[in-house]
Amino acid sequence: MAVLSLDRLSKRFGARLAVDAVSFEVKPREVFGLLGPNGSGKSTILRLVTGYLRPTAGTVRVAGLDVVASGTAARRLIGYVPESAPLYPHMRVGEFLAFMGRLRGLEGGRLRAAVEAALERLALGSVREVIIERLSHGYRQRVSLAQAILHQPELLVLDEPSNGLDPRQIIELRRLLRQLAQSSAVLVTSHILSEIERTADRAAILLDGRLLTVEQVGGGETVAAPASRLETLFLDLTQTKAMR
Amino acid sequence: MNVATLAVKEVRALFASPIAYAVLAVFIVLSGYTFTVTLFVSKQATLVHIFFQSAVQLILLVPLITMRQFAEERRSGTLELLLTAPVHEVEIVAAKFIASMLVMGMMASLTLIYAAVLAVYGQPDWGPIYSGYLGLMLLGAALLSIGLMISALTANQIVAAVVSLGLFGLLWSIDTLASLLPDPFENWLIGLSLLAHFTPFAVGAMYVSDVGFFLSVILLGLFLTVRALARG
Repeated sequence: MAVLSLDRLSKRFGARLAVDAVSFEVKPREVFGLLGPNGSGKSTILRLVTGYLRPTAGTVRVAGLDVVASGTAARRLIGYVPESAPLYPHMRVGEFLAFMGRLRGLEGGRLRAAVEAALERLALGSVREVIIERLSHGYRQRVSLAQAILHQPELLVLDEPSNGLDPRQIIELRRLLRQLAQSSAVLVTSHILSEIERTADRAAILLDGRLLTVEQVGGGETVAAPASRLETLFLDLTQTKAMR
Repeated sequence: MNVATLAVKEVRALFASPIAYAVLAVFIVLSGYTFTVTLFVSKQATLVHIFFQSAVQLILLVPLITMRQFAEERRSGTLELLLTAPVHEVEIVAAKFIASMLVMGMMASLTLIYAAVLAVYGQPDWGPIYSGYLGLMLLGAALLSIGLMISALTANQIVAAVVSLGLFGLLWSIDTLASLLPDPFENWLIGLSLLAHFTPFAVGAMYVSDVGFFLSVILLGLFLTVRALARG
């Protein structure tokens, strides 16, 4: 069964149709990329998947649960890193992770073990007592990822996770995404083609809220390889927009 | 469980910034000044003037407590983090209301020292003191619920504070406008006046209708706050 299933999903903001009858599925242990120019509806789709927005039409199912009808239960299965990686600046790293863990139903020994595991996996042990506002952007991004994987979600949703990272951090992120995909399905957006090409198994290309195509990409195996195939396809499909 | 977790986070956030300390300090200094001056001038063992002054101070200070609550979460994006966790909007609003009530309760409880002074050096009538404190808590809770609602509607905390202050001022003194209007408009506006509903508590005359008014405002404010957070 698909971990994530979108069926003719639409979202309208006033007169503007931000997402137009989008359908796709994400399988277990798959990294699925959403590609598109700015304003193509990528972040809106993620917000619909995570239950932050309600669809105008269509459905989103996470492990078979409708995110509107069974909102709380569905959100328990999701780990989400929004685009700006928002955190509480006055909290310490360990305190923040424990707070987010409690919200996801972890307590006592399970909570402590989950926080330790996330700190270790994201190499955050050295900053666990540091106040978040004193962290660099790269560390903040890692803390945001750590809160998303605390409860070992079935679906990990990442909105432009490589934004603001330096090249070394981007390489680390790629490795991490492949690792995380061993236990969760990953839905990731980016407007950087090479990022999707190097991390995703499949990628969907969006334009003006419409799904243009879903392509097999190949994930980690195409690290240095034919970057041009997806790039060529993307440029072809989105050409009309660029010419406007 | 979520409410407790969120409420602890809210209390820590309130006291992580200097706002809560400043609000408490200003409140106790001003009420202490009034208590001392009035006691020496009138030589009466009463807290009526303290209750009225505290009510006005709440109108001025509650916007400082509520302005950040949702506006800052919305601006910084952490509201998205909360609403995509397995948490219900009602739990988020309840936690923020409880945390704000705690600060407001601390403000009111600081004035208990004046009641203690009266008890030691005089023979106060305790009825009006009990009802005054009840009125103060109900008024404060009503202001907090309205302030939270306004904070939930904007991502700018200054806007939240200014709009709250304006609305509180209007609701406090709307009975003045009512006196210029014919029936039944006069009665309708007086029915909305915070001052008209608070005065009986401050002078020791409690009415069920006034309790009902404040409870209705509190519940309506919290309900509208939850609606303002509803997923679009």
